[in-house]
Amino acid sequence: MSLRTRRTWSLLGLLTAPSAFLLCFFLCPLVLMLIYSFLTPGLYGGVEWEFFHLNYGRILGWADTKYERFDPVFLIIFLRSLRLAALTVLTCLVISYPAAFWISRMPPARRNFALFLVTLPFFVSLIVRLFAWVLILRPTGFLNQGLMGVGLTSEPLEFLYTDFAVVVGMTYVFIPFTFLPLYASIEKLDTAQIEASFDLGATRVQTFGKVILPATLPGIAAGAVITFIPALGNFIVPSVLGGAKVVMIGNLIEQQFLSARNWPFGSALAMLVMAAVLVLLIVQLRLARRQDVP
Amino acid sequence: MYRAMIGPGHSACPGSSSESTLMPAPLEITAASKSFRTPEGGTITALDDVSFGLDGAEFVTLLGPSGCGKTTLLRTISGFEALDHGTIRLEGQDVTDWPSHKRPVNTVFQSYALFTHMPVSRNVGYALEIAGADKATIRRRVGEMLELVGLAGLENRRISQLSGGQKQRVALARALAGRPKLLLLDEPLSALDKNLRQKMQHELKSLQRELGIGFIFVTHDQGEALTMSDRIAVLAHGRIQQLGTPQALYRRPANLFTADFLGDSNLIPLVVAEGRGILPDGQSFTLNGAPRAGTLMLRPEDLTRTRRGEAGLTFKGVVAARYYSGKDFQIELDCPGTGRLLAVLRDDGAVPDTGAELTLHSATDALHVIEEVQP
Ligand SMILES: Nc1ncnc2c1ncn2[C@@H]1O[C@H](COP(=O)(O)OP(=O)(O)O)[C@@H](O)[C@H]1O
Ligand SMILES: [Mg+2]
Repeated sequence: MSLRTRRTWSLLGLLTAPSAFLLCFFLCPLVLMLIYSFLTPGLYGGVEWEFFHLNYGRILGWADTKYERFDPVFLIIFLRSLRLAALTVLTCLVISYPAAFWISRMPPARRNFALFLVTLPFFVSLIVRLFAWVLILRPTGFLNQGLMGVGLTSEPLEFLYTDFAVVVGMTYVFIPFTFLPLYASIEKLDTAQIEASFDLGATRVQTFGKVILPATLPGIAAGAVITFIPALGNFIVPSVLGGAKVVMIGNLIEQQFLSARNWPFGSALAMLVMAAVLVLLIVQLRLARRQDVP
Repeated sequence: MYRAMIGPGHSACPGSSSESTLMPAPLEITAASKSFRTPEGGTITALDDVSFGLDGAEFVTLLGPSGCGKTTLLRTISGFEALDHGTIRLEGQDVTDWPSHKRPVNTVFQSYALFTHMPVSRNVGYALEIAGADKATIRRRVGEMLELVGLAGLENRRISQLSGGQKQRVALARALAGRPKLLLLDEPLSALDKNLRQKMQHELKSLQRELGIGFIFVTHDQGEALTMSDRIAVLAHGRIQQLGTPQALYRRPANLFTADFLGDSNLIPLVVAEGRGILPDGQSFTLNGAPRAGTLMLRPEDLTRTRRGEAGLTFKGVVAARYYSGKDFQIELDCPGTGRLLAVLRDDGAVPDTGAELTLHSATDALHVIEEVQP
């Protein structure tokens, strides 16, 4: 066997297992969902194998039959999810950027410890961590007691079951997702380039805008996308911290599959989220490519 | 290869010393000290009471072994390191406490430090962009600068598409575009191969003459320092060992370190008695001045096979090694009493081979005594 065919074979061998895995557990369910979203919901759950477009009609506006009507609430929930996910990304970035900068300039031993601390929350169950936030945010919780203790407020404020609580919770859950890609690109930042900028007359602010930010833009984009996607579809945080008041698209999908047992409609909602994510990825790719071309 | 580029803002007559005596010195450092704390808790003295300056549009080289404080000295001038003690003046103005972006000084960094996310044109135009110049002015200046460094037409290249030599030139163009009063260059040629390095040495030198501004050039390569400089400052252990023209440093080094660091030399211990220096083998010669002890320095090329004049020293020995270097031979001569001497003899077809006896002479005017005793 020549070296070349040997290479081809070993490549094939290495790729078979992951490809099969992705095919079975990612692509097939996805195609199944896509098909389901165009099928008629069965009367008692399940599906009937008959083409049906009103699943989308109920969300996007053209359904007006007796059983299947358009309801703007789905779009409202979807838009709210987009907004809350975007807010989460923003808060994560604002917190992670200076932190990543600071950690990347630490001496190595302390830096590794700090990085370990960033990933520490992963070692504790998500549900436990979220209920801790319930304890903090509820009317008799630490936050309200603290605010009243200092005298800033006279009676408990509604924090729990608000957009605020959901954004706080999602920021808390997803911050390592933003932090790590951001850190990777900030750590690579060439200190000499920053000095060169000062040397050529730039102030700190100018240096940040013209050198540091553009050089770390790939990390910002990667961190934002990798946070936005799971935040958009998340249903655990809004169900614990948003309750019935702050419903996100993830809760709706979960509901359709588990309690309403309308799988085709749930699939249609899921496809909507997929579409949003795809658009986002295409925009990001475009941006990344434009950065590559001088 | 550089085209003349004398714009407004540059003094049009470089090297006219009558002008520079009227103007304040471009750079004046007085009693500068700087020490660093090491992670282990100790301190390193990187600069120890350094006083140093430029008298006019000079090409001054900081020469010294790695770790002697050259980069630190440059960084205190550009404002990246604050001095512990001492003052820095630029054109008479005390800038010791100024942040680096306010100092009219630009640097060519050892690693070039080009902005990798910008094309060549924005790199070169950066100082003007920061200063708020309009687009047309920037474009014109960038074109001028790229032509000056021989990269005309490369405006739109990405940094990653440049060779090492081209990056070097872009870094140079970028540092010069803002018309600095003084250019600092930190070992800019060390990453280039030998041919390119030699070419750049000549270009940098003529560029400095053309622009008529001071260059402070850092290197650990003594050949480079001798070729390029108007004056050389030899640094060791954070101190300036000697400051002077290349010829002065080479012919009359003030101490053993400079003698040893610049070129090859034979260092022979002397005993001083009655105004004469006595060599270990008993020869002696008249001393100028009255040192109490000292070391005789003889450059290898000052040892000849024929005697010039009556007085002088003679060394008789056996050739221990002979190396051919093209136009001449390097000889190691074992002399009883004196030790091993290094000599450079022209290849005239009669240079004795290893094992042969050889007598070498040196004229009186080639003898230089350093008032320092070898440990
Ligand atoms: N930021 C720093 N922290 C600690 N020590 C430093 C720092 N910068 C330089 N030094 C030390 O100061 C001395 C001089 O360094 P440097 O000026 O870089 O030397 P050179 O450029 O001549 O090689 C060295 O011993 C170096 O280890
Ligand atoms: Mg250095």
